[in-house]
Amino acid sequence: MRDAIVIGSGISGMVTAVKLAEEGVSVLLVSPFPSERSQSVMAAGGINAVLTDCEPGDSVACHIEDTLKGGCYIAGRDSVTGLCESAEEIIRYLEGIGTVFSVDDDGRPARRAFGGQSYKRTCYCGASTGKQIVTALVMEARRLEASGKIRRGLGKCFHSALIKDGVCYGALFFDEHTGNISAEYADAVVVATGGQNALFGKTTGSTQCDGYTAGKLFTQGVELKNLEFIQFHPTTIETSQKRMLLSEAARGEGGRLFYLDKGKRVYFMEDKYGPGGNLLPRDIVSREIYGAGSEVFLDVSFLKESEIDKRIPEVRELCKKYIGLDIASEPIPVAPSVHFFMGGIAVHNDHETNIRNLFAVGECASMYHGANRLGGNSLLAAIHSGMIAAREIAGRDVVADKPDFSQAEREANESLAEMRNTKSVFPVMYIRDMAAETMNKSMGIIREEASIKEGITDIDYYLSIAEKLSYDNSVLPYFNYSLSGILTLARAVLTCADARKESRGAHFRSDFPDTFDEYAHPTIVSYDNGQYNTRLDKENEYES
Amino acid sequence: MKVKVLRQQSPVSEPYWEVFDADVPGDMSVAGLLDHLNYHDDIVDENGKPTTRIGWECSCLQGICGSCAMVINGIPALACETFVRDLKGSEITIQPLQKFPVIHDLLTDRSVIYKNLEKENIFIGEYKPGSEENGKKAQKEHVHQYEIAKCIKCGLCLEVCPNYVNGQNFFGAMFANDCYLVAARNTDKRREIKELYDEHFGSTCSKSLSCMDVCPMKIPTIASMAKLNRR
Repeated sequence: MRDAIVIGSGISGMVTAVKLAEEGVSVLLVSPFPSERSQSVMAAGGINAVLTDCEPGDSVACHIEDTLKGGCYIAGRDSVTGLCESAEEIIRYLEGIGTVFSVDDDGRPARRAFGGQSYKRTCYCGASTGKQIVTALVMEARRLEASGKIRRGLGKCFHSALIKDGVCYGALFFDEHTGNISAEYADAVVVATGGQNALFGKTTGSTQCDGYTAGKLFTQGVELKNLEFIQFHPTTIETSQKRMLLSEAARGEGGRLFYLDKGKRVYFMEDKYGPGGNLLPRDIVSREIYGAGSEVFLDVSFLKESEIDKRIPEVRELCKKYIGLDIASEPIPVAPSVHFFMGGIAVHNDHETNIRNLFAVGECASMYHGANRLGGNSLLAAIHSGMIAAREIAGRDVVADKPDFSQAEREANESLAEMRNTKSVFPVMYIRDMAAETMNKSMGIIREEASIKEGITDIDYYLSIAEKLSYDNSVLPYFNYSLSGILTLARAVLTCADARKESRGAHFRSDFPDTFDEYAHPTIVSYDNGQYNTRLDKENEYES
Repeated sequence: MKVKVLRQQSPVSEPYWEVFDADVPGDMSVAGLLDHLNYHDDIVDENGKPTTRIGWECSCLQGICGSCAMVINGIPALACETFVRDLKGSEITIQPLQKFPVIHDLLTDRSVIYKNLEKENIFIGEYKPGSEENGKKAQKEHVHQYEIAKCIKCGLCLEVCPNYVNGQNFFGAMFANDCYLVAARNTDKRREIKELYDEHFGSTCSKSLSCMDVCPMKIPTIASMAKLNRR
């Protein structure tokens, strides 16, 4: 192909753009903000890879098995095999472009243990792995920007895709500088817009990841997958501006969870699961904290101060800065919070959606993590998926004739102008907040039919008024036109949760607490004129 | 408490001060305060007159993305990690960064940061480390490179710098640090980078080091300078 548009400039979007440009494809890399503002910079932990000098006994086959098991056996074996097999090459690539990995005495990438994995195989860059990778990739993108192979489209927000007869030819973007919506055409479009945090208000992630692109594409015929699987991170702290994540490292270094019963500490994870209880997979720890029934604390104060400063200095600094608490002397009040979305846009193994020439990569795509994700696999998947999509696009033929979408462009601008002409004191952000309240209530750690149905009723009501809401002049036009797409995605999430009448991985139903073989497949959801239709992918149509 | 905000509706309109009343706890950050003013109820000024919501931007809300850089009580800082309890006096003043064009209220156009790095081709290209250092010295060097790579390109170092005007010739501490990272990670580029460093930083910097005082990532710019000046 000759040219491509990549939407989103975090790690996954940048990798796709860089690899496409290196293959001679001309790239427009679009994002409202620079890459330094993306959620990718917040990924702290690391990136999993079985390297040639791995721990004795470890193997790529073992990484594949851990990943499939962690995902409760609904991720595709072929795609997960591809992911794990490419991991060593990915680490070499990141080293080669200058990523500052933490290294051992021989200068090789150091590795740490992470939850749900049989061996130490998580490579890392101190406590800021994502940020260090972003810095290296920004430089790579800059190298290709300087030679004109990548063009950055900063200040552009996705509006809709240009789709005709099941083929994508480009997208419409709202430009914050001109205030207009305009069309960009390309042989392929790659969506790399991250998870749908905003459905839940302020989560541990970036406020910029709102799920609009997935929601809008859904209404344009793109199928979504596994939306019911949402990972809660067990240890987050409440601050005055958001919930902040305390790294799994705090428990990895010996941190203990407890609650108080008549003034006495109850180490409930250890009581129930034994000495390793505190480090069980995230879904189990989250459910146990939720079920504790009173405030839960994480304690590391029994560690020597020097050990805390050496091993988890960022946890100490974060607590000191945001809640004025010194973890060296006091236990930390913690609670689970929404952290990662295993579900998203349904893609085939080459990362193409059900719409031809439209691809999705990174967290917005659903592929490798099944019903639950292992720590350290998201950065790996972000990079791997970008490489796969770029390779596929570069190898395809140029799209000879592109239809004219000038009418769609005109209509989008007219509709925006119509929205602008109304005024109201009732802002769109209020509806977003109310929808987030609904989602937190209906899509919490433990779910059941009645509250999911209530959630559907609420979201349907917000959807029915979203188009009638008066325009809020004081926020960006994007916030006004994106509301319907975000609410549609919320509705699709609830529909998936309602349809899966079992408990599996991160999806726990109190009315169906068991796991059933008949549900051992991904959920696919499609949209047809206001109807939300779900099915299980029993034929593995997306695993191809 | 009074919150005085320098507002500006568009890039070409005139700025003006607007004062708000806010009663918020001391452990709230300025980011939380702005969110509170915008959304706890309909927004009104200190006289109860309805006004528009205050424009500002955020992403991570925990000091690692650089979106919310602004000037708070005269000091360039990130709103999400500046707390009400630490601000002196009964009034808080909030202004956009003054050395970048204002887009809307507290939102500024910092694209000059990226344009300058792109213009001078500041990229590693290929990892080719030096071999002259080993042991403890190599470890220290590794830590230094790690710290530089944490730069969030927020622009606070440029805002506070007495030498930085608008990025036409002098590119500031952020540029100096990226130069060092490239020179250290790809030794083939040392000579070329050293020339760019001298041209856009070394020859003009008056070494006030105020950049280090305001840097949210605590990047030791002085160490980058010492090493680049030596080479």
